[in-house]
Amino acid sequence: MIDRQEVMRMARLARLELSDREIDQYQKDLTSFLSSGQKLQQVDVSAVEGTSHAVAMTHELRKDAVGESLPQAEILSAAPEAMDGFFKVPRIVEEQE
Amino acid sequence: MRRLAHLLETRQISSTEVVEHYLAEISKQEPVLNAFITVDAEGALAQAKASDRRRREGQALSPWDGIPIAVKDNISTKGLKTTCASRFLANYVPLFDAEVVSRLKDVGLSIIGKTNLDEFAMGSSTEYSAYGVTCNPHDHERVSGGSSGGSAAAVAAGEVPWSLGTDTGGSIRQPASFCGVVGLKPTYGWVSRYGVVALAPSLDHVGPLARTVEDAALLFSLIAGPDPKDATSSDAREFSIPDWDESFVKGLKIGVPEEFFGEGISPEVEGAVRDCLNALEGWGAELVPISLATNEYAIDTYLTLVTAEASSSLARYDGVRYGVRIPAEDSNTMFARSRSAGFGAEVKRRIMLGTYVLSARQYGAYYEQAQKVRTLIRQDVLEAFKQVDVIITPTTPSTAFRIGAKQSPLEMYLSDLFTAMANLCGIPALNVPCGRDSRGLPLGMQIMGGHFQEELLFRVARLVENHVGVEGEVFSDKL
Repeated sequence: MIDRQEVMRMARLARLELSDREIDQYQKDLTSFLSSGQKLQQVDVSAVEGTSHAVAMTHELRKDAVGESLPQAEILSAAPEAMDGFFKVPRIVEEQE
Repeated sequence: MRRLAHLLETRQISSTEVVEHYLAEISKQEPVLNAFITVDAEGALAQAKASDRRRREGQALSPWDGIPIAVKDNISTKGLKTTCASRFLANYVPLFDAEVVSRLKDVGLSIIGKTNLDEFAMGSSTEYSAYGVTCNPHDHERVSGGSSGGSAAAVAAGEVPWSLGTDTGGSIRQPASFCGVVGLKPTYGWVSRYGVVALAPSLDHVGPLARTVEDAALLFSLIAGPDPKDATSSDAREFSIPDWDESFVKGLKIGVPEEFFGEGISPEVEGAVRDCLNALEGWGAELVPISLATNEYAIDTYLTLVTAEASSSLARYDGVRYGVRIPAEDSNTMFARSRSAGFGAEVKRRIMLGTYVLSARQYGAYYEQAQKVRTLIRQDVLEAFKQVDVIITPTTPSTAFRIGAKQSPLEMYLSDLFTAMANLCGIPALNVPCGRDSRGLPLGMQIMGGHFQEELLFRVARLVENHVGVEGEVFSDKL
């Protein structure tokens, strides 16, 4: 069984605020998910590399060219809070005393 | 669709009449079916009028100009709400079209509405939608499948002639099977994902759903092709509809993997697929028994990768630029409260699982291990295609289940048992209906092929369709 502290740690990392009932639920779900995934651990993969994409492809860099952008005012109009052409969020950096 | 295009071209019917017909079907059926999250009647009628004007002036954009289509609600549509069936994006209106939507608009198709799905495409029944379940048109007490349940049900019910869906582990093919329509998950990279809301970028695909094989092939030809805006788009390749010559079937090698038949499969599903296999054999195909032993690991590999990628893809929903915001004194609390208020239980569950398998202590044991097992699965499948041209299996182990029947998440995840393999390998796979069970529910058959073998899949599917027949014909009274 995954312990409760671990579930709460995951929630913090994932930026989720969970109720006690949700923590209980996800503790159960994580545990059963991991036990069903046990047989994956038994597979011998010593001879293979991982696959990150199904079709072989190489990353190509795009040209650094100036293109058309979406209009700033329209983008900001979808934001919950905006001010002076910026997205507005609660204070992140504390003011110096 | 060719008939509808002919009626439009010869002006026996107008686009306005076609769109009005489908809007009337939508108003009649939606109160029960719930296949749509948003219906854009005004927009679709305006587009239809513009199309009629183009036809009058001899300026039709294509033979398909004026035909309506529905688009899954995780595909961005400029000026039209795109909710992903999540409360988080309840009021989100994109400022741009997904590449696939631009392509449809360029040939004159009108977007009639946005179809229901499991929240952020995480699910197999649309029961995880924040906007209610989509019923199966063949039995309203059963699910339409998922996550593209709305797209499949709308086509099956005749609310639209065709639709677009997305498929990360079976989300086009499983609902297509449950609703009795044709659905294709294309080769990875052949259809642009630009503007399609990401669930798991290495497994996500966009594809067509339609009543007939030819319509599905036609819709695929309209959306396939390279797109510089999608970094995972494949190199220059277009797709054109095959000529439907049937001689190819002589000597066609069809792989029949033993792991997809027998125990755990509904006898009616297996019987229908075997009947079609026998018909194909009768026309000259060779049935080759094969083994795809690694399918045993497909679901666990898929779940590990999909949750990991999803936890990362969904990190962008923070309540800053769009969507839900629950105010708080500091940013971290604001992010957490907004996300917790906006996401449903299944989405949170997958984010939690994904965060766990990506966490420093577990990364090697779970995520890295799954990526390596993915390589083994891929090798297994590509090895099989050295012996055979296509592989045929049931699409799902059973027909559509009852709403509320699958109580545990793991039970729901097993819905992808036969379909996840194709996503892990990036190979094309389609569902073609192959009859009905004793309750009248549709049965589906999956045809898989090597990378970029869509044409062959459509050809085989067309033979199956000829064998079992297509139901209903919209606008037949006009012919």
